[in-house]
Amino acid sequence: MNLNPMHQFEVFKIGPEISLGDINLSFTNASLFMTISSVLILFLLFFGTKKKELVPSKIQLITEMSYTFVAKMMNDTAGSGAKSFFPFIFTLFMFVLFCNMVGMLPYSFTVTSHIIVTFTLAAVVFLGVTVVGFAKHGIKYLELFVPKGVPMALLPLIIIIEIISYLSRPVSLSVRLFANMMAGHTMMKVFGGFVISLGLLGGWLPLGFSVALTGLEILVAFLQAYVFAILTCIYLNDALNLHH
Amino acid sequence: MKDLKEISTRLEIAKKKIKKTNESSGRSNAASLGKALKISTELVAAVVVGSTMGFLLDTWFGTKPLLIICFFFMGAAAGIINVFRAAKKMH
Repeated sequence: MNLNPMHQFEVFKIGPEISLGDINLSFTNASLFMTISSVLILFLLFFGTKKKELVPSKIQLITEMSYTFVAKMMNDTAGSGAKSFFPFIFTLFMFVLFCNMVGMLPYSFTVTSHIIVTFTLAAVVFLGVTVVGFAKHGIKYLELFVPKGVPMALLPLIIIIEIISYLSRPVSLSVRLFANMMAGHTMMKVFGGFVISLGLLGGWLPLGFSVALTGLEILVAFLQAYVFAILTCIYLNDALNLHH
Repeated sequence: MKDLKEISTRLEIAKKKIKKTNESSGRSNAASLGKALKISTELVAAVVVGSTMGFLLDTWFGTKPLLIICFFFMGAAAGIINVFRAAKKMH
């Protein structure tokens, strides 16, 4: 029995080692669970939109609900101007949600509990939003760093602070998701370990905690996917409509 | 013509109804909890980014530890601005 709570985050190779020059491209358990999540999303969307009935079946209902959920969220935060980015936001939301939810299954691996995964997602969002901002406004996009009504003497300081604030976006976006998932899963494993080590006499209390924590973790898994998507919408809104 | 006018007024009323329900259901529990979780990392991230920038610039210009101190405080200021803005957006 492995009681180490960090053991669940170990990445290991599955199959042969593939390397391209210095880059290690081996298929790992992380890649496996990312593939599983993506395939699950594809299955859900494929079977959910196959038979379009007026009275929807359960799977069609789930698909339609996820669509309206993301569409409404985008409408509320980014306005109607961001409609063309719907596929991106929807993909991002579904991927993070399914990675989190698949990670809740016993014996599975939580992809989003690794900072490199969440940081890659956040970096794509950050670079994409910056490119969109420059494409839409040209060099005027740099006005984002110059708030209105600031005295000239303070301007250099404010600009540096604004740049730090802008650069902190991908960091906060990735660290939030990673930290929440990792802390939650570690805590669950710690309480699970207590159940084993305290045995039949004292193990009931941590078992109860484990059950409660599982419920909390499912909420957090959904919430973090939601926060990730909504923040992307907010950043997109900042880039499309240039004002504070 | 009369039919069209009637339809357009009915459409208008329906649209207003949709808008109303959208506005009332916009503030759900999950949304506010999400916002609360959002703010907590906002402050830390800016301090980390500011300090990292200071450290990198220090190694470039060889001015250790002057810039890392300056950038740490500017990072803290940026974090406070971030939290302030996030809180302002809630209204």
